[in-house]
Amino acid sequence: MDSFSTMVQFLLPGLGITLLVTLIALFMGCLIGVFMAVLRVYGNTFARTVATSYSIVVRAIPVVVIIFILYFVISEFIDLSAFMAGAVALGFASGAYQTEIFRGAILSVPQGQMTAARGIGMGRGKAIRCIIMPQALRIAIPSLINEVSLVLKDSSLVFVIGVPELLRRAQYASASTMKPLLAFGTAALFYILLTLVLSKFLEAVEQRFSLSS
Amino acid sequence: MKKFFGLLLMAGVFLTTVAHAGDAIVVGTSADYPPYEYTDAAGDFVGFDMDLIRAIGEKIGKKVKIVDMGFDTLIAGLQNGKIDVVIAAMQASDERKKMVDFSNVYHEIKDAILVKADSDIEINSIHDISQYKVASQTGTIQEKWIQENLVKKGKLAAKDYFSYERVDNAAMDIKAGRVDVLHIIADPALSLAEKNNLKIALITTEAVSAGQSLAVTKGNTELLTLINRAIEELKAEGILQELMDKYKLL
Repeated sequence: MDSFSTMVQFLLPGLGITLLVTLIALFMGCLIGVFMAVLRVYGNTFARTVATSYSIVVRAIPVVVIIFILYFVISEFIDLSAFMAGAVALGFASGAYQTEIFRGAILSVPQGQMTAARGIGMGRGKAIRCIIMPQALRIAIPSLINEVSLVLKDSSLVFVIGVPELLRRAQYASASTMKPLLAFGTAALFYILLTLVLSKFLEAVEQRFSLSS
Repeated sequence: MKKFFGLLLMAGVFLTTVAHAGDAIVVGTSADYPPYEYTDAAGDFVGFDMDLIRAIGEKIGKKVKIVDMGFDTLIAGLQNGKIDVVIAAMQASDERKKMVDFSNVYHEIKDAILVKADSDIEINSIHDISQYKVASQTGTIQEKWIQENLVKKGKLAAKDYFSYERVDNAAMDIKAGRVDVLHIIADPALSLAEKNNLKIALITTEAVSAGQSLAVTKGNTELLTLINRAIEELKAEGILQELMDKYKLL
């Protein structure tokens, strides 16, 4: 028990960083995802090509490579801290997956909704904003819960550029106490806790916006 | 909601390390390698290298800001100017010399061969390890020596060589019997053996005799000169030896 509390001491500071990186990445990914999904479904040929290429290329590149590119190449030009580079890279990667999530959600809103909205005189933009998206977002929530847990685990990759998040802390603990099983076990426990909290939150959101039947 | 995420971003910006703050030198390390560099439970960097770089910082009158990175990214960090100095038990290999500049050697190293505590494996020469399943750490000079002198010469089958990212994982696999001998640098071997129920079968300079150096960005001779002078002073004053004794380096 004593060594467990040592582990918690080692890992606790990493918990906040992991959570922060994950939240920034998810939020950024969500903005990119919604935007790109709208482009993919309703955009002209050029917009569709851009959005589709983004989604395909980014999903093809391992997240750790995106992190490296952002930190070592792009930050030559912009002064980006390791933390922000990591979070932004994760957000950029998650955006591609969320594009597909939102695209699927938009496509599952019945065609008639758009036709009807246009029929009562709404412009295309307004119809997307006020009729299609509110319905699509609700449909997207269950898949987003899945994405949350994926981003949470991908957040462990930012340690390669020196952000001391949960997994890196576990490595510190493992190295200095020589108890790798306990160290990584404790880290696993923290990841489970984080996943539970984040998905419970989204489930509550889902409940809140579900159509009472 | 927007405000909340705005706050998050702000927190993120403030939490992060601000590289190159004034007259401080930013030092990169990979803090998972006791007794050279590791962290205590509070997350502070401790170890032989860490004490040494702080002593060097004092000598040259600069604040030392230590950042932890993966070992493989340290050289890239120097090249991109993310960090000014690397101290990470790093040896000045020819490949690395092409990419960064190294200081004088501050610590000479030996090799150790570790086996399970109850094992009857006897190692008298480093070449004896070729009959067994051999483990070493990825990217180290020890691994390179094994590759060049045992694997490429056909003395050790490639399938009997195991490359570990981290020494504690290798030690665990020795304990579990998945590999037989672990060839690593001698200094961490003592504590590694103690904590994992292993024993030291051989301490030698037969394979690798090298020294650890600090690295700086290629061409940064100004800083390098200061560092070299500081190392020599610390050696002469006996402080280096004190640090070695403190961390039980061999």
